[in-house]
Amino acid sequence: MMDVLHNLAFGFEHALTWQNLMFCALGCTVGTLVGLLPGLGPLATISLLLPLTYSIPTTGALIMLAGIYYGAQYGDSVSAITMKIPHASSIVACIDGYQMTLKGKTGLALFTAGVSSFIGGTVAIVVLSFFAPMLGEVAFLFGPADYCALMLVGFVCVSFVTTGSLLNGMAMCLIGVLLGQIGTDVTSGVQRFTMDLPFLADGVGLVSVALGCFGIAEITKNLDNREERSPFNGKINLIPTWAEFKRIIPSALRGSVIGSFLGILPGGGPVIAQFAAYAVDKKVSKYKHEIGSGAIEGVAGQAAADEAAARTSFIPLMSIGIPENAVMALMMAAFIIKGIQPGPNMIAGHPELFWGLVASMWIGNCFLITLNVPLVRYWLSVFKIPYNVLFPAILFFCCIGTFSVNNNLDDIYITAAFGLGGYLFMRLDLDAAPLMLGFILGPMMEENFRRALLISRGSFLAFMKRPISGTLLALIGVFVIWQLVSFFLQARKKPAPKADADRPEAALVPE
Amino acid sequence: MNDRNLVRGLVLIAISLAFGLPALRYPIGEFSHAGAGLFPLMVSGLLLLIGVVTVVRARFVEHVPLDFQARNIAIILASLCGFALLSHFLNMTVGIVFMVFCSAFAGSSYSVMRNIKIAAGLIAVAFAFQKLLGLNLPLY
Repeated sequence: MMDVLHNLAFGFEHALTWQNLMFCALGCTVGTLVGLLPGLGPLATISLLLPLTYSIPTTGALIMLAGIYYGAQYGDSVSAITMKIPHASSIVACIDGYQMTLKGKTGLALFTAGVSSFIGGTVAIVVLSFFAPMLGEVAFLFGPADYCALMLVGFVCVSFVTTGSLLNGMAMCLIGVLLGQIGTDVTSGVQRFTMDLPFLADGVGLVSVALGCFGIAEITKNLDNREERSPFNGKINLIPTWAEFKRIIPSALRGSVIGSFLGILPGGGPVIAQFAAYAVDKKVSKYKHEIGSGAIEGVAGQAAADEAAARTSFIPLMSIGIPENAVMALMMAAFIIKGIQPGPNMIAGHPELFWGLVASMWIGNCFLITLNVPLVRYWLSVFKIPYNVLFPAILFFCCIGTFSVNNNLDDIYITAAFGLGGYLFMRLDLDAAPLMLGFILGPMMEENFRRALLISRGSFLAFMKRPISGTLLALIGVFVIWQLVSFFLQARKKPAPKADADRPEAALVPE
Repeated sequence: MNDRNLVRGLVLIAISLAFGLPALRYPIGEFSHAGAGLFPLMVSGLLLLIGVVTVVRARFVEHVPLDFQARNIAIILASLCGFALLSHFLNMTVGIVFMVFCSAFAGSSYSVMRNIKIAAGLIAVAFAFQKLLGLNLPLY
C-alpha cells in the first residue's frame, strides 16, 4: 500500500512538469474533439499523431496519445447525448442520454456523464496502480506457447466483442496477421509477399493501414450517408439538484467496478463494459423501471464503465505486453517506436514512464471534467462546421500523417489502397478493428509460435501440456463449440434467422 | 451474386489464396524448424476454411444486398493519388489545392469559393507544421 502511494507520488513528480502537463492537456483536448466529431475515431487519430511524436520526449508522447484515447471516451458521450450520434464506444449513451435530451434535461445528462466518467477514471487508476505491477510478476511465468495462446484468446474475444460474429471477426484477425507477414522474415531473411517492390521490404506501414481502414473508409461512409446534422441549440442547465446528484454516485461506482474488471480481460474495453454496466443497472438499480426512458442511472453507469475500461485496458499491455484491443495495439506500436518494449520488464525498467503515465491519467481526468462539463457548450459549436469543410481537412491530415512517417510519398498510395480495402470490408460488414490487432500481433505471434515449436521439437502437444496455454486453448475450444451449437440450434428453430442477430448493438439500441 | 454474405466469403477465399499460393513458394521447413512459408500457409489455410464456411453459410441465412457505392470512394482515392503525384512532380502546395478541389466533388454541395478558403487554410496549416513542428514537407 505504502509502496503504491510512494510510486504514485513519484509518478506525479514526472507528470506535473510543465511539458508533460501541456502534452496531457493537448491529448485530452484533441481526444475530446475527435470523440465529438464523426469521421475520426481514436484509432485513426493516434495513428495520425504517431509520426508527430518522433520529436517529442517519450513520456510526453505517450501521455499525449493516452490522453487522446481516454479523452475520446468523454467526448463521444457528449455527441451521443445531445445529437444521438453514436461512435464506436458510445452506443449505450445514445439510449438514455438522448432520451434525457428529449425531455429537456441535456445539462443534467452531460453533467452525469462527466461526473461519472471522472469517478470511473479515478477508480480505474487505483486498480491500474495496484494490479499492473502484480500482473507483471505473473507474466514472468509465461513461455512462448502461453503467449501464443494468450494472443489467440485475444483474437477470439476481440472478434466476438467488436463484430458480434466470431467468423467475421476471426477472418479479419487472420487477414491482419497475413498483412503483417508482408516484408522480410526476421528469422530467415526471406522476403515475403513483397512482389519485389523495394518499399514493401520493411513491411506495410502501420499508419497506412490504420488511416486507410479507419480514416479514409470512415470519411467515405459519412459521405455516402449524405446526412447533414443539425447542430444542437437547446438550453443546457448544468447544475443538478442534490437529489439528482445522489442518484449518480451508486450507479457510477457500480459502473466503475464493472468497467475496471472488464477492461482487464482480453478483448475487453469500453464497448463491452458499457453494455455490461447498463445491463447491471437495469437489473439492480433502485430506479430500474425508469432506465430506457431517460434515467440518470442509464447514463451514469455506462459512462463510468466506459471510462474505467478505457484505462484498465492499459494493464495487459503494460504488464504482459499483449494489447487486448486495437487501440492498445496501436499504443504498443507507439511504445515500440519510442524504443520501449511493453511487458513485465517495463514497470521495473522505466518506472518514470509507467507511473508518470498513471499519474497523468488522473491529471487528464481533471482536465477532461473541466473541458466537458463547464465548457461543454463551446464544444458543441464544433458541430456548426459543415462536413463539406471538415472532410477535405481530415483527408489532408491523413495525407500528411502518412507522408511524414518515412517522408515518402509512396506510402500515400498504400494508404489509398487500404482505404479501398477498408471501404470494401465495411460494405461487407467486416469490422476493421480486429484487423488492426491481428496486424500488430501477427509478427509477435509467428515468432512465439516458431519458438514454441522449436523448444518442443515440432510437437503441438507442448501447447496442451503447459498449464497456462492448455487452459486458454481449452477456453477457446469451449467457446467455439458453444458458438457452433448455438448457430445450429438457431438455424433449426428459424429457417431464416434475422440479420440483426449478428450485431448485438443493433439489437439493444431502441429506435 | 448481389448477396453480401456470399461476396464476403468469396473475398475471404480470394485473400487467402492471394497469400496462401505465394507462401507455397517459400521454404516451408518442418514444424520443429519452421521455414518462412509455414506460418503464412497455416494462417491462410485457416482463412480459406473461414471463407468456405461463410460461403456455405450464405446459402442458409437470409440474403442481404451488397451496398457498394463506387462514386465517393473513387473520388477520394483519386484525390489521394493526385495529391501524391502532384507533390512528387510539382510540389505539395499544388497537391493540397488539387486534393481539396477534387475531393469536394464527393460532398453534398460544390462551391469554388469555399474550396479556395479550405485550401488556403490547409496550406497555412501545412506551413505551420513545417516551420513549427519541423516536418519535412516539400511545400515549394
